[in-house]
Amino acid sequence: MTSYQHARFRRIMAEVKVKPEVPDPMDIESRIIELCHQFPHGITDQVIQNDMPHMEAQQRAVAINRLLSMGQLDLLRSSAGLLYRIKDSQNASKMKGSDNQEKLVYQIIEDAGNKGIWSRDIRYKSNLPLTEINKILKNLESKKLIKAVKSVAASKKKVYMLYNLQPDRSVTGGAWYSDQDFESEFVEVLNQQCFKFLQSKAEAARDSKQNPMIQRNSSFASSHEVWKYICELGISKVELSMEDIETILNTLIYDGKVEMTIIAAKEGTVGSVDGQMRLYRAVSPLIQPTGLVRTPCGLCPVFDDCHEGGEISPSNCIYMTEWLEF
Amino acid sequence: MGNRVAAAELARQEVGTGGGCCHGGELGQAWCCSLPPLHSWHSGAAGMTQAELRLCSLLLQEHFGDIVEKVGNSLLRTGPRPLRLLVGDTGLLPDQVKKALCVLIQHNLVRYEVQPRGSVEYEARSERILRILRYPRYIYTAKTLYGDPGELLVEELLLHGHLPMSRAVARVADRLTETMEDGKTMDYTEVSNTFVRLADTHFIQRCPIVSEIPQSTKAPPPPAPALAIDEKEMYVVPRLSLVGKGKRRHSCNEEEEGEHKAKRQKQEGGRSETPPDDGIYWQVNLERFHQHFRDQALVSAVASRMDQTSSEVVRTMLRMSEVTTASGASHTQPLSSNEIFRSLPAGYNIGKQVLDQYLALLADDPLEFVGKSGDSGGGTYTVNLHKALVSLATATLESIVEERFGSRCARIFRLLLRKKHLEQKQVEDFAMIPAKEAKDMLYRMLSENLVSLQEIPKTPDHAPSRTFYLYTVNVMAAARMLLHRCYKSVANLMERRQHEMQENKRLLDKSQRVEAILASMQATGAEAAQLHEVEEMITGPERQQLETLKRNVNKIDASENQVDETIFVLESFIESTMKRP
Repeated sequence: MTSYQHARFRRIMAEVKVKPEVPDPMDIESRIIELCHQFPHGITDQVIQNDMPHMEAQQRAVAINRLLSMGQLDLLRSSAGLLYRIKDSQNASKMKGSDNQEKLVYQIIEDAGNKGIWSRDIRYKSNLPLTEINKILKNLESKKLIKAVKSVAASKKKVYMLYNLQPDRSVTGGAWYSDQDFESEFVEVLNQQCFKFLQSKAEAARDSKQNPMIQRNSSFASSHEVWKYICELGISKVELSMEDIETILNTLIYDGKVEMTIIAAKEGTVGSVDGQMRLYRAVSPLIQPTGLVRTPCGLCPVFDDCHEGGEISPSNCIYMTEWLEF
Repeated sequence: MGNRVAAAELARQEVGTGGGCCHGGELGQAWCCSLPPLHSWHSGAAGMTQAELRLCSLLLQEHFGDIVEKVGNSLLRTGPRPLRLLVGDTGLLPDQVKKALCVLIQHNLVRYEVQPRGSVEYEARSERILRILRYPRYIYTAKTLYGDPGELLVEELLLHGHLPMSRAVARVADRLTETMEDGKTMDYTEVSNTFVRLADTHFIQRCPIVSEIPQSTKAPPPPAPALAIDEKEMYVVPRLSLVGKGKRRHSCNEEEEGEHKAKRQKQEGGRSETPPDDGIYWQVNLERFHQHFRDQALVSAVASRMDQTSSEVVRTMLRMSEVTTASGASHTQPLSSNEIFRSLPAGYNIGKQVLDQYLALLADDPLEFVGKSGDSGGGTYTVNLHKALVSLATATLESIVEERFGSRCARIFRLLLRKKHLEQKQVEDFAMIPAKEAKDMLYRMLSENLVSLQEIPKTPDHAPSRTFYLYTVNVMAAARMLLHRCYKSVANLMERRQHEMQENKRLLDKSQRVEAILASMQATGAEAAQLHEVEEMITGPERQQLETLKRNVNKIDASENQVDETIFVLESFIESTMKRP
């Protein structure tokens, strides 16, 4: 380069330098979006500032707000501060037509996960009036973004959740409910089968006639063993977990037919949960039916009305007459 | 059954005679000079329920007759009274009231107390009157432990209230001789030995006697004697040499009759002199029998829950603690494994290690009947008496719920017993019963007061929508309620039994007359044809009716005893719980 050209070049550069850089707002936004694509987990303010150091804080804020309102960015909070994340383009297009309120309601429902949320709770969280809520919910439902699931606890109550989520067990009732109906027969059958299994184990232990410690220990069955037995029986159409079997075994305890002990088990032994294992054993009742229930008076439905000389009295009691003729 | 009828009839006619319970025992006039023992005062005597009152009346009437029943009834309803007021209340003659009181005091059913002002007040002991229901069980237990002499000794003591040893032995020997073959008699020594054994194991005890206070001539004698007995003296049998054999009441041989009559007179003349143990009277120690029943219930519960050998170990432990543990204690004294091993019954030859294993299993069992209290002597163990009573009472409650309401209701009941407080929803979830059914069952049990609701408000205004409602079982209240039901049931059964007898009174009288005729004819040696003719006076259908009546009365009687077993368990539980601090 000649010295004349050098000087001219320097002059142009100075001119260029002197002029303050005014970045185009559109460029800022697209730059931010590029950055978001680069870091799909989200970018912080710091990252944006590092990339475009000449940008003023205010401009940055304006750009970010525009992007948020257009629904192209997600605002998240993290331990490092605020995070901006690119929003899923598919979703972004969906929500294009909705306004802020709808987006808020959708956010709340999404947060509820697979447990769903009741309409009144949505109202509390969003502070929107009831009529608005209802309109929004209808809208979202028609767009197939959310769905209503009937709760098994209160059959009138409807909870809303995202369209493609599976409802949680607590809402549908889990293995014991099929279409909101409690399957008592199924539970009964399982109850009897578990009891038979434990009974035969106890009998086998008793017949083995070994020393008492071994006899007692072999009469126990862990919940895992019972679970395996029931699974192998194949009487259940639904897959049952070990907890399900444990709830069935608990009902047997409340029937007075089975007793349970908890022992400490090493982590990793089959069937142990949190270092413990539950063992169950069939037992015989503590006493024979007591004397009172062997008389008619013990089971009499009109016991309180009965007195000598009245219409219902021991002398003319029909239950006693029947019982005496037996 | 005929005996029972005869005894009941006689009891109704005479005043002051001990009524017959199971055997038609001879009724003795027993005005005795020894005055009643003062047992611990039962503070609950005032708060009696209608059912208890009704049952006590029925028992007094059946066993002692109308006059005693009136007096007892009046005392039960009004509380402690002096004699004058009692005469006024009952409207009977003073002489009758005195005799009735004498009978009641003789049988420990009424006690007296000298008031500060100098009058003597009489108070009925309702809990002791209710024990009359249990007499057959006491007698049966004595029979299983000590055979026929034991059975009859306890029966005589129960029927007479107090008896000196010599008389008791003589009467029992006579009765046993009656049942033996011709020519054989029961020797006094065997009966005395049984008596001594009963005293050694504390099943019978001495009655308190008048204490020897030096009387100063100036001070007037107290209106009623104070009675006391030393603990050490209670089971000491006096040294008597009772020699003799039982006598038969009737003799079948005519020739011997004259001889017998002469002999009998001589003997009776001899007996009219004071017996060697005058003033020392014996009574049955009911507490000891109750202890035995409780042990029995414990052992059978262990046998059904675990196995025969474990129950034998527990029985041994209880036997060893019989005399060392105070009644009403919540634990037995600690027993070391070595001691238990030495005391096992002879037939059980299990090794020491095996015994240790059984003891360890008993201590580990969720029942918690046996607890380990230390390691000396190979491990010391105690029996948890209170816990055992709680378990037995709870099992009784559960059994009643199961039989009355069904097994699903019983499941809910047991669930509430374990978890103490639950909401409606939780009950449904734990018990795995559909919501509608669970609700129905809970409300039914609530209406019967077996289950109660506990309100826990979230807000100060107790608004129902913002309150937790928890279901819970109050075991003491439920036990008391069912005990009350037991009393009423027994009273109902007794009334029904009396009604049945009353309905067939004509037939019973007829059959009695026929029997009497037959007996007299047999004594005078009538021919078979004549006897047959007399027997024919009772027709076939009538015989059938009598058979049915007998069967029904026995059935009701057995049922009363069964309800009494429930009463025992519930009462023991309530007593044991009240005693704890």
